[in-house]
Amino acid sequence: MNRLLRNRELLVFLLLVVMVIGVGLVSPHFLSPRSLRNVANSSLILILVSVGEMFVVLTRGLDVSVGATMGLSAVVLGLALNAGVALPIAILLALIVGVLAGAVNSVGVAIFRVPPIIMTLGTLGMYRGTMRILTGGSWIETIPANIKHLAKLTFLEIHMFVWVTLAVILLAVLVLKKFKPARYFYLVGDNEEGALFLGIPIQRTVFVAYILAGFFSAMAAVVFVAQVGFVPMQTGNGQELKALAALVIGGVSLTGGVGTPVSAFIGALFLKTVDSMLIFLKVPGYWSNAVGGIILLVAVYFDYRLREAVNLRQLLSRRKVRMEHIKKVRSAVEANRNGHTHEES
Amino acid sequence: MKLTRWLKSWEFSLAVMLVVEVLVLGAINPAFLKVEDLLYSTNDFMHIIFAALAMTLTIITGGIDISSTSVMGLTSIVIGLGWVAGMNIVAAVALAIVVGTLAGLFNGLFVAYTDIHPLVITLGTLFMFGGIAAGLPGVLDFLGFKAYGAAGFSAYMYEGITGFPQSFGDFTQNSIMGLPIPLILIFLFALFLALLLHRTRFGRYLYLIGVNQEAAEYTGVPVKKALILAYTLSGLGAAIAGVMLTSYFTSARSDLGSKDLLPIITAVVLGGTDIMGGSGTIVGTLIAGIFIGYLRQGLLALGVTSDVVPVVTGFLLVVVVAAKLLVARFNEERLNRQALKSRQEEALGGLGKEVS
Amino acid sequence: MDLSENFPDATNSSTPLIQMSSIWKVFDGVPVLRGIDLDLYKGEVHALFGGNGSGKSTTMKILSGVYRADSGQIRVNGRPATIERPTDAHNVGIYMVPQEPHIFPHLSVEENLLTGLDKPKGEVREQIERLSEEMEFHIPMHTSAGSLSIANQQLLEIIRGLLRDVSVLILDEPTSALTFREVDHLFAKMKALTNRGIGIFFISHRLGEVLEISRRVTALRNGEVVLSSLTKDLSSSDLVQAILPDDGGSGSVPASQPDSDDSGAPRGEVPVLEVKSLKGEVFDDISLSVKEGEVVGLAGLVGAGRTELAEAIVGIDEHARGDVYIDGRLVRNRTPRKCQDLGLVYVPEDRHAHGIFLDLPHLYTTTSSILPQLGRIFISFARERSIGEKYMDQLRIKANSLYQLARTLSGGNQQKVVLSKALASYPKCIILDEPTRGVDAQARQDVYTLIKNLKAQGVGILLISSEMEEIVEFSDRVLVMHQGTIIEELSREEITLERVMEASFGMVGGQIS
Repeated sequence: MNRLLRNRELLVFLLLVVMVIGVGLVSPHFLSPRSLRNVANSSLILILVSVGEMFVVLTRGLDVSVGATMGLSAVVLGLALNAGVALPIAILLALIVGVLAGAVNSVGVAIFRVPPIIMTLGTLGMYRGTMRILTGGSWIETIPANIKHLAKLTFLEIHMFVWVTLAVILLAVLVLKKFKPARYFYLVGDNEEGALFLGIPIQRTVFVAYILAGFFSAMAAVVFVAQVGFVPMQTGNGQELKALAALVIGGVSLTGGVGTPVSAFIGALFLKTVDSMLIFLKVPGYWSNAVGGIILLVAVYFDYRLREAVNLRQLLSRRKVRMEHIKKVRSAVEANRNGHTHEES
Repeated sequence: MKLTRWLKSWEFSLAVMLVVEVLVLGAINPAFLKVEDLLYSTNDFMHIIFAALAMTLTIITGGIDISSTSVMGLTSIVIGLGWVAGMNIVAAVALAIVVGTLAGLFNGLFVAYTDIHPLVITLGTLFMFGGIAAGLPGVLDFLGFKAYGAAGFSAYMYEGITGFPQSFGDFTQNSIMGLPIPLILIFLFALFLALLLHRTRFGRYLYLIGVNQEAAEYTGVPVKKALILAYTLSGLGAAIAGVMLTSYFTSARSDLGSKDLLPIITAVVLGGTDIMGGSGTIVGTLIAGIFIGYLRQGLLALGVTSDVVPVVTGFLLVVVVAAKLLVARFNEERLNRQALKSRQEEALGGLGKEVS
Repeated sequence: MDLSENFPDATNSSTPLIQMSSIWKVFDGVPVLRGIDLDLYKGEVHALFGGNGSGKSTTMKILSGVYRADSGQIRVNGRPATIERPTDAHNVGIYMVPQEPHIFPHLSVEENLLTGLDKPKGEVREQIERLSEEMEFHIPMHTSAGSLSIANQQLLEIIRGLLRDVSVLILDEPTSALTFREVDHLFAKMKALTNRGIGIFFISHRLGEVLEISRRVTALRNGEVVLSSLTKDLSSSDLVQAILPDDGGSGSVPASQPDSDDSGAPRGEVPVLEVKSLKGEVFDDISLSVKEGEVVGLAGLVGAGRTELAEAIVGIDEHARGDVYIDGRLVRNRTPRKCQDLGLVYVPEDRHAHGIFLDLPHLYTTTSSILPQLGRIFISFARERSIGEKYMDQLRIKANSLYQLARTLSGGNQQKVVLSKALASYPKCIILDEPTRGVDAQARQDVYTLIKNLKAQGVGILLISSEMEEIVEFSDRVLVMHQGTIIEELSREEITLERVMEASFGMVGGQIS
């Protein structure tokens, strides 16, 4: 199955490359360093949100409040900066907000056992509303230059935020692979009963998952504020749904236990690249949703057919084994019936 | 005995809550209690109730349809485009409803014939239908129709397609015998769905599927057909909501209703429908929907900004579900412990053993 | 081949590894274990033998922490031990390999092995390598566990246990899904482990294997120990005899007299049910027929494939091949609905999962199969209630009202509700799968009365049951299924408890197959 997953990531990546090249043929300007850099930059937010959502989905949960959390963190960041708070502190504040927002979900899901979709739907509403309460309903129109400057920093021609995101993903990959308690996400999602049997702390694991989702949403908020330069009330709208779509496309299973940060990354990059390509091809922006939806449906349908095929194959091979067994039993019975003292074993 | 059962039911508590809410809001602002206003203000949230009523069906089966809001927008755009293309307004509305219902059918087929979770499927169609709704005007415009309406593209972006005949807009403004037409339609739709759900075998199938889909299959219940119909009706409900909204605002927009997913689901869940499937009533959703609708209005009247409303709705959703869960679990554990203890003491005592 | 002599003589070491004394366990008011005494010495394979429901699995689940005993004591190496959850058992060196191994299918083999272990990685890796060699577990560590065969999954669980330095390994029916070769392999590994001093509890209902691998055998019946002895002193018929009920019946099945008016001779020429060469995943080439008013008993042990056969007959298993005729008509593209319309219904083995709608009024379950008959457009609630009342009365279902939630009914009453659902469509043939499992004595009698009545009415019955007495009592003919094939067919005169029992265990003509 790991092989399949890696194949899936590879497949999506290849599709991505093919698409990019395809568009490049039609519109060579698309392949220019500048435009590629734009694509990379604009994907960061979805990538971060998707990776955060991945932790929750790995445990077989769901978090539809990540977009609202992102918005809330962005608002807090903007307000703090405008109030003169030092940049590092303001960013820290935003991250803390993300963690707290996630923690609320954790309490609801892990402790009170509220179904995740209900809990996170409720917090979605609450956080969106809180955003407006904090700002009095108006956009935060101006942001100090210091944070916007962050978005302009480059290292080796590539924006710093890209480096940071890549580093974060790398870190996430390493932690998930090597850090033992991090494996619990997979264990809980893959076979909760087995995890219970082997003494895995399930509640704690789920708790951490939602906090991580909040934290990553907050990181996405920082990138957003820096890149965009102001905070509209729609910040984060729909990110959770896009993140789920990205996860599914990248190969993260919504039933838990399967997927890596790379899957989230690839899926998000894919979706965002499709968006950029559509823009480049002068296709009006609102088609991107339609395309995204169709891609999602195709991806899950493809997964479904694959599952059926694999199941069928396993069924047939198991059957073959049983048939051999049955033949032996039959011949032994015949032999016994015919009075031979022949013990077949 | 039936009366006492009803009195203890969730629907009754909801009704009480609704009455209390109206009285409280009325106490704060007496103008609220004017019957005329009370009735007319339902126009504001009628679309939520239409969609919620239909969504109740899909949630009872253990699934969910989150594409309703996109279907609303799609329906709206079809009306607008049909009108602009020269269709009779009634024909345009009819076409729009057909389109919305077909969207529901698409969902239903996907859900019935694959084992993919309905949440994922309707997530995809949420995007797909929404995107198509957004893109259709562009396509038609490209093909030569004045798809953006007489006022042109920029006006469209701001106001949607306008220029509808007076009768269309009046439709939702008028009333019959003092009752606003949308309200009458809500009750008719609710009546229709309630009959379907509680009195036909199709409705019974939905409950059976929601409680135990495997057992339903073993029993020979036509699971696929029932699911397809449930999601198709969900699409129909969303389509009607879209028509209502378009008439109310006399403007066709593809993003109509996009913010309404939270209140719609809240109405269903607050109405007593279990998100895992197997229980729920139309009446419950209806009362809960009205409750949430008035709540919004009341809060606005109190001077609370419209932005705070989702906070309250969200909070309400979580608290209600958590409370129900806690109470249910508490009761279950208490019953279990009692039953277990007495049976064990019985069995062991009779055999001369002590419970360790 | 009798390996028992090759084991080191463990009886000279003073304290047993495990001592279980007077273990009682009650489920839902029914005592499942009645004072079990069991022990295990170092280096021995101790087999727990018995039929379905004898309590062997429950006993081991208590030892491994999945259940808690209601009464009794467990000693490990002479010292009393409190085992309330699996990790407690692990801590005292006990590890159970469940019948269905706990595998994390999407994780690697290595990951699966390391789960929950507290030791430093490097040391464990080395251990894993060594153990894999020893167990001849040749799967690359990074393979995903979901692709492993059951045999390898079991080995994985065993290695998991070994990694925890177990001294006691419990194997729960490990061979039910294995090929002969895999079984040999497993046994060789077991021997290696016992050579190291590890004690093994081996739960099985397979005579041949029990005699082959164990040093001692304890046989259970109805929650009690009925035999415990060194294997070398036993023969296969000793074992089978031990778990037969005492002569005169256990009291759960009434002493029978042949029905005076219907001597069991079925009427009608065309069978109500005919199955020809049905092939499924776990069974092959099964043919059988049931005539009007005939009860055909299908005996066998768990794992023989009887439920799978039944599911294939009514069309729940879509991949099965072969033909089914109901009342002489071939059913194409079988589905439960089609079969029901033609007159064949199936009462599932697992009523909770497949038969009953727990969170709805039990009335709804009763009528769930015949809803179209309750009205063309609207359901006539009056008619529904009258049908419900009829069956509540006929089957003596004890409930406060028709609308009481099925979940709150007792097991026996739940089963009656499922039966009423089957009866509501007035079938010509019913397949009953373990109809009295988990059912109290009184309800059991009611079910038996029902079977007799149905027979008198000319309904054909295929009775699948692991209660041999039931089979013997009611069947006009008995088919015994063993590991996917029909191993024995007995006509009325030939039916004896002993023959049915033996055949279920694979013994035909006195020899094990």
